[in-house]
Amino acid sequence: MNRYGILAALLAATLWTVSLSGAHADARHASAKTVKITGEIIDSWCYLTEIMYPLGTAHHQCAVWCAAGGVPVGILSDDGTPYILLSFQGDGQSVANPALLDLQTHHVVLEGQSFERDGMHYLVADRLVEDHGITNMTYEDYGIQPFGE
Amino acid sequence: MKRIVVVIIMSAAWASGALAAESWGLPEEEKTRFEATVVDAQCELTGDCPDRCGGGERQLGLLTGEGKLILPLKNVVPFAGATDELLEFCGKNVIADGLFSTNRGVTVFALQFVREAPDGKWRRANRFTNQWAEANGVDPKSKTAQQWFRHDPAVVKVIERDGKLGTGK
Repeated sequence: MNRYGILAALLAATLWTVSLSGAHADARHASAKTVKITGEIIDSWCYLTEIMYPLGTAHHQCAVWCAAGGVPVGILSDDGTPYILLSFQGDGQSVANPALLDLQTHHVVLEGQSFERDGMHYLVADRLVEDHGITNMTYEDYGIQPFGE
Repeated sequence: MKRIVVVIIMSAAWASGALAAESWGLPEEEKTRFEATVVDAQCELTGDCPDRCGGGERQLGLLTGEGKLILPLKNVVPFAGATDELLEFCGKNVIADGLFSTNRGVTVFALQFVREAPDGKWRRANRFTNQWAEANGVDPKSKTAQQWFRHDPAVVKVIERDGKLGTGK
C-alpha cells in the first residue's frame, strides 16, 4: 500500500470510529417512549427492597421522609411496573422536590417519556394528567410504617 | 419488622463510625465494590445536561466502564439518598462500595463508602447529616440532626397539613 493508500485507510478508520460514537450517543438518548402511566407515587427504596410495608396510607409518612431525604421518588403503575421519576412537569429537580413531597402516595395519571436502562424503568413526567388523591387505605392492616407512630 | 430494625441499626452504626462493610439483611443482598463515573442520570438518559450534574437537585448515577447505569437509591443515613454523597465527584471516577439487592425483578444499590478513583481517601456515605445540620442550623451530633426526618421543615409542613396518613387525619 502506498502513502496515499495508508492515508485513505486511516481516514476511513477515523470516520468509521466517529460514526460508531455517534451511533452510540443516539442509541443512548433515543430509547424514550411516550407513555401515560396510571399508578401510585411511591418511595422507590422501601418498595423495591420491601424492608417494610411500602404502600398506601400506612407508608405515607415514611414516603415523605424518604422523598425529603432525596431517595428517588417513583410511580408504581397499576400493571405493577415501578418507574423512577427523573423530572416532574418540566422541573428537573428529582431530589427533594416539594411538588413530589405533596404528591406522595397519591394515585395519579402521568404523561411523559419512559426509558428502560439496565433493568430499571425511568420516567420524565411532563404532565400530571389526573390526581386522584390517596386511595390506597392500608393503615388499618399495616399501622404506621416503620415505627408505628 | 426485624429487617427494618436491622437496616436502621446498621444505618446508625455506619453513620456513627463503623468501618467494615455490613449486611443490611436485604433481599438477595450482595456486597459489592466497583469503579464507575458519577453522572446525572437524567442527562445520561435524555441528553439534558445542566452544569455540575444538576448541582444537587438531580439523581446521580454510577456509569461503569461496561456502560451499565447503576442508580444508588440510598446512602447510610436513615431515609436519605445518595446525591449529597456523590455530587462532588460529578464527572469523575469513583470506587463505590455498598450493597446490591435484587427484589421484585429489579436490582438496586445502596452506597456505603465512596472514594475518588484510583486511590482517594475512603469516606462513609453519611455526608447528608452534616449538610442537613448545617442547612438547618443545628449540631450534626444532636438528636435533632440524627432524627432529621422528624424535624425537616419540608416534612413538618406536609405532615402537619396532611397528617401521617396523608388523608388529613
